[in-house]
Amino acid sequence: MNPEKIQVYGTELLGRKNLSEDTCELRFFFPAGFSFLPGQFVRFENHDLKRDYSITTAPDEKVIELCVRDTRTGNFSSVLASAEIGTRFRFSGPHGYFVYRPSTRPLVFVATGTGVAPFVSMTRSGISGYIFLHGVRHTPDLYYENLFRNGAHIYVPCVSRSADEAESDIFPGKVTDYVETLLEKQPYDFYLCGKREMIRDVTFLVDDHFPGSRVYTEVFY
Amino acid sequence: MKIYTGGGDRGKTSLFSGERIAKNHDRVEAYGDIDELCSILGAVTASLAGKHPEVEAEIHGIQSDLMKVGALLSTSPDAPAFAELEKIEENTIRTLESSMDRMDTDLPPLRGFILPGGDMSAAWAHIARTVCRRAERHVIGLVDSFGDPGDGGDYLKVLAYMNRLSDYLFVLARYCNHLSDQSDILWKP
Repeated sequence: MNPEKIQVYGTELLGRKNLSEDTCELRFFFPAGFSFLPGQFVRFENHDLKRDYSITTAPDEKVIELCVRDTRTGNFSSVLASAEIGTRFRFSGPHGYFVYRPSTRPLVFVATGTGVAPFVSMTRSGISGYIFLHGVRHTPDLYYENLFRNGAHIYVPCVSRSADEAESDIFPGKVTDYVETLLEKQPYDFYLCGKREMIRDVTFLVDDHFPGSRVYTEVFY
Repeated sequence: MKIYTGGGDRGKTSLFSGERIAKNHDRVEAYGDIDELCSILGAVTASLAGKHPEVEAEIHGIQSDLMKVGALLSTSPDAPAFAELEKIEENTIRTLESSMDRMDTDLPPLRGFILPGGDMSAAWAHIARTVCRRAERHVIGLVDSFGDPGDGGDYLKVLAYMNRLSDYLFVLARYCNHLSDQSDILWKP
């Protein structure tokens, strides 16, 4: 993670796949000379608009995919989500220190919404055997569910607003509720990504109930 | 990416290696001093006001070294992340010595103790010197707490660097006065 490796690159939108009503996965050309570690992000630029996105692909896939939620507010994500195939963009990277660190402690990945993105890259890169808590409001927002069901040791979808009756393994509540009441009390390596308030609250729970743990965080929103 | 989470609102912070520790822990004192020192060096360059770009460039290089020191102090030496960090090497210390020797050639011999002060840049450099010594004291505490010297090997180089940097900052303060055509303020007891 050498800051001197950060450069500006040109890329082109190659494809789009819808993940839910307002979220899509965008595929971009992988420019020559670019490299990254699973969990790192890139900064896309378009005139005065800039936005950071964690890469969801593994480094050896040689394609850049991003998980983008269109907030329909006209910001950069809206521009990106509605761009035509073939549109060219510029980005800088790789950025960030939210990368996997080998450990003897069990792994707990906690994500809200699009905060799953770095964990998608880590899983596609071969990291497995972790406990994964994905916090969403509604079940259609459980992106990459199959990937995590196969890669995680324990996969816990935490749905706070509504739940499909057929999904019997859904935890009806927030990820913080699960951590506080159901996660076995022992040291872990926690990786937290997504909503700022979730990161704060899980960190407090770690301080109170999981001594000897490690905490790594990436705030998305 | 936002950098604030509020996770520190109850008095604990996360090291780069992921541990949660109290904000008044010796380790946080040490890298907090480094942060303060780096900031004061920013005041030195600001007070030079672009008139001596070669001195500013040299100070920027030292600030860059202090960022490395801060990263080392905020990471447990036995964590995998520690191996990825840039270390303080012997040539970094030799560079400070060469700079001191070069500045000394323009300075009159010291004839006694001097009072901190003179040009604003010199005053800031003296403050930086004292903060550097405080940081050194806290790093000594960290090295002592390891017990086995092997764990603190890289920290011992940090100590040597802090010691040399304190001397450098004394010479820099005199040099800043020289650049602004001011004499040292001799202490007359």
